[in-house]
Amino acid sequence: MTTIHSWMNNRWSIPAASGALILAALVLLQIGRTDTAGNILMVAAAVVAGTHIVIAAARALWARVIGIDLLVAVAAIGAVIIGQYWEAAAVTFLFAIGHALETATLNKTRSALAELVAVAPDIAITLRDGEQVEVAATAVIQGETVLIKNGAKVPVDGEVIGGAGALDEASITGESMPVEKATGDRVFAGTVARSGFLQVRATGVGTDTTLARIIHRVEDAQDAKAKTQVFMDRFSAWYTPAILILAIIVGLFTQNIVLALTLLVIGCPGALVISIPVSIVAGIGRAAKDGILIKGGEFLETSARITAVAVDKTGTLTLGRPRVTDVVVLNPALTRGEVLGWAGRAEVGSEHPLSRAILDAARTESLDVAGLPESTSPVPGKGIVVTARGHRVLIGNPALLAQYAIIDSDAATHAATALAEAGRTPMIVMLDDTVAGVIGVADEVRTDAAQMVSDLHAAGVKRVIMLTGDAPLVAHAVAAVTGVDEVHASLLPEDKLDVVTSLQAEGYVVAMVGDGVNDAPALATADIGVAMGAAGSAVAVETADIALMGDNLLKLPEAISLARRTVNNMRQNIAIALITVTLLLLGVLLGGVTMSIGMLVHEASVLIVIVNAMRLLRRHDQHRPAEASRPTSLPPSTGPEPIGITIRPDQTVTSTGENHVLVD
Amino acid sequence: MSSIAPTITHTSLRAEGFSCPSCVSKIEKQVGRVDGVTAVTVKFASARIEIDHDASVVSVEELIAVVAKAGYSARVAAF
Repeated sequence: MTTIHSWMNNRWSIPAASGALILAALVLLQIGRTDTAGNILMVAAAVVAGTHIVIAAARALWARVIGIDLLVAVAAIGAVIIGQYWEAAAVTFLFAIGHALETATLNKTRSALAELVAVAPDIAITLRDGEQVEVAATAVIQGETVLIKNGAKVPVDGEVIGGAGALDEASITGESMPVEKATGDRVFAGTVARSGFLQVRATGVGTDTTLARIIHRVEDAQDAKAKTQVFMDRFSAWYTPAILILAIIVGLFTQNIVLALTLLVIGCPGALVISIPVSIVAGIGRAAKDGILIKGGEFLETSARITAVAVDKTGTLTLGRPRVTDVVVLNPALTRGEVLGWAGRAEVGSEHPLSRAILDAARTESLDVAGLPESTSPVPGKGIVVTARGHRVLIGNPALLAQYAIIDSDAATHAATALAEAGRTPMIVMLDDTVAGVIGVADEVRTDAAQMVSDLHAAGVKRVIMLTGDAPLVAHAVAAVTGVDEVHASLLPEDKLDVVTSLQAEGYVVAMVGDGVNDAPALATADIGVAMGAAGSAVAVETADIALMGDNLLKLPEAISLARRTVNNMRQNIAIALITVTLLLLGVLLGGVTMSIGMLVHEASVLIVIVNAMRLLRRHDQHRPAEASRPTSLPPSTGPEPIGITIRPDQTVTSTGENHVLVD
Repeated sequence: MSSIAPTITHTSLRAEGFSCPSCVSKIEKQVGRVDGVTAVTVKFASARIEIDHDASVVSVEELIAVVAKAGYSARVAAF
């Protein structure tokens, strides 16, 4: 019984049975003396394949919907009544087999999302009263400790509170390389432990996880209609009734029922109504699998037209983590360590973003920076004045030197200028009213930043523009490394917005990439707002037009070229559908196309449209470096090696081991 | 959300077998007719059925049965 039941439920059973009956009928019609037996088998084939169609048509009618099923059902029944048994059998058989194929292939185009849903975790091992308890993933309580063993799926979003291990985060970020996790790191539900053992404090459970947000975002995106689709929907709304009326008019006018019925069959708008949704579902699904969330069809269409990309520097082209790159010693009595050490001692109490870089460098070199300075007074826009261990230490820019009337400051100013030209932020260090040295701090440019810029150009973007609040010299140095076309430096948030609007006024379709805080106005104004590293931010996942889940810059050109391919795919599908319908209509009206040929061509066009959309599911391999986003420093090399900056024609900074000395 | 919000449950079903957009209105009308259902939206592209219903009048299982009667298999979405 169960076998019969499962056989009946198989989507291929009905087409198979109907096909077998048609074959038997054809054999009988060939060898039989009378046609009766063959005709009976033909009708049987039509009944087997058609029953389902008639039921579906009745259900649709019951819900007051005139659908394709009804057109086919009327055509098939009409064919039987007028004795066109072969046509009735062929039409129902082809429709049934086409329907089964459509369902199978459509499920494939939705497969990217199905895979996302499939990575949703089922169970979690929690630590309750010191005992390991297995619970449903959705039953974990916020703040509870969850254990993640090697090979297990991470059941919740959370923070690592103990242990170490590597996670495969491909389901979230699209990156296949496992990521090492240690205490303090964030983990996401749906990722898989490849090694180690982690203790995680749950911060998000069930629908409050990044994975759930991605799934909902992708579903909403797939359902959001592109402008083209809204147009096509309107078109199909009058197309189906028009075909019905045309069939009736042709039937009345020519008294040719077969012709009228054939019109009904070929009038099924299958390929037309499906042409756009399948491309969008496949395109957005493919993107999601690669860690690129696109808000919907409309945004896909806009992304395909992007001609200018504005990129925020800090945190996007660079890592947003300043670090000490140079220590230039200007007082021959001091060592490099002493200059850095005094700077460190002075910066202990400072809140300035660059002070952290100096402290980190001092601690890395095991310099003694313990204790707090006796007094600290910041000089806004210039630097900081500190009394530490009985000495007065000043750290700041040339303006600070001028304010404190430090004499003999030429060497410091020159060194500072040279560092700035090389893209470092210079900080002059003074000890007891004499210049001690200059420390250069720079943000690290991402290794793939230059690759991203050239990929963007390859993807058809005409201008890549860097926007930054930083000083022009630093900005230009980063620009030189990354190869962006244009730099706008020393910008306030509203200035970034102005750059975007003026680009739009010039006719560019602008995408803006930023971290969403001080870039918010520009992001909102740009035609497409792109958020990077969005996995960690629920807001970014939900609001950005394109959210790049991972921290990989190369996803941006990938997103744009995928958008272009998807929109091309949509156009191809619309063309296939319209050409097919036109040719069939002409074929029927001019003669030659029968009901069964019409159904065959119609079903074929639907399948071609779906298969064409499925091409989008294939990965388009461009550049997939094994390691993405590993930081690089600004050239030339950093650290204790010679930095070789020309200060004056007769002066260079060189290094001898630990000490950078100014050579006259 | 209306004033009767506390008794209304939102259920997401993921369905199979959507092959043409006319499935949408078919299911919407069938499910919408069920007592206790206040709203139903069928998303064709992602094959989802979103239902607002009074769980004390009509259960999720009953809703799945109604969808099945319209000719489609569906199951509840946990995530």
